[in-house]
Amino acid sequence: MSTKPFPNLDRDEKETGSDQDGRGLSHLGALPYRDTKPVGAADFYFAINATFRFLLRRFGWEGLRRYWTDLGTQYYAPVSAAWQQRGLPGIAAYWRAFFAAEPGAEVQVQESDQAVVVTVSVCPAFKQLRAHHREIVPCFCQQCYFLNESIAAPAGFTVRVAGGNGSCRQTFLPRDAGTPPQDLSEIREATC
Amino acid sequence: MLGVYDFCGHYEWTFEWLRRTGGERLVRQYWDEAISQDSQRHAAELIVPQGIPGMIEYWGHTLEHEAAGYYCTTTDAVYRIDMHQCPSKGFLIRNSLQQYHDYCDHCMGWIGPLLRRAGFVVDHQHNHAGRCWWEIRRADDPTEPSEPGGLAGEHDVRLLPDWIQPAPLDTYRRANDPDDKATILPESR
Repeated sequence: MSTKPFPNLDRDEKETGSDQDGRGLSHLGALPYRDTKPVGAADFYFAINATFRFLLRRFGWEGLRRYWTDLGTQYYAPVSAAWQQRGLPGIAAYWRAFFAAEPGAEVQVQESDQAVVVTVSVCPAFKQLRAHHREIVPCFCQQCYFLNESIAAPAGFTVRVAGGNGSCRQTFLPRDAGTPPQDLSEIREATC
Repeated sequence: MLGVYDFCGHYEWTFEWLRRTGGERLVRQYWDEAISQDSQRHAAELIVPQGIPGMIEYWGHTLEHEAAGYYCTTTDAVYRIDMHQCPSKGFLIRNSLQQYHDYCDHCMGWIGPLLRRAGFVVDHQHNHAGRCWWEIRRADDPTEPSEPGGLAGEHDVRLLPDWIQPAPLDTYRRANDPDDKATILPESR
């Protein structure tokens, strides 16, 4: 897999038209993989939740954690490369674009010289899963630590997650900032 | 966080992660248990009790939601889909994403077992370039699949000039299993 930051960016930056709903695609420029529609299909949150449940049953907590870590270091390697190249502004741009493309998300991204803070008021996954009465894997919110940390670490950053179960705060900091380790008890279990 | 905007990318990546972890058998179990029986249980809730009317309702919603380019043909005996622009395979092609050897198998991997539980079988071909067709009939209906244009008329993907690709054409006859396929190589067409 290529680790060049955002291999499609050159092509996508030339897209000046609108998508099928008439909404431009330029707000998605910080994403490594691009679609022709402005937001994803919310039903896919069902599959993400079901995948976690399947892996948890087959391989236990360690197996699910390994899946998240491998996903972050392999599939999302272009994101790591971009964060390494662009630093905190790149992290902020990524999360703004990411949540703009997630249906139903209500999120604020604040950027300073020291950190990027992503405040999730309405997690789009929880919104969809709860609206359809799906049983949510209790450790669902742990993905946001293990996946994001595996993307951030190769770029020289780390993440701390607090809250969960539908709303949370994710703080991205330089790894050399002396931040205490993630306390997993700070991440709430998901309830239906 | 895993998002749904690039879902097809990490979904496809997951197939290969599973294959490397537990072989093809684990991939098949994932498609059936996690996708068919868990994620897509709303499809089963429509199709198992209602049959073809449930298929119309399920795929009408889902394919519109995913912005697919498709055409459906329905009679009392058959439900046919002509997929002209598969949104998920299209996403993978546009982004040059391929980890697993045949992403297209996942559809039969979850739809096939669901239709078996509903009492249906599938005739299907996919060309690995974002085009495919499906004809779904009751398991006790011995009708052969239609000839090109015979059921869907001008909307039949087999009539498109680029239907035949350099890649093999995967063919299923009265199937419910993702491994129950014949591969038609370019030189034999």
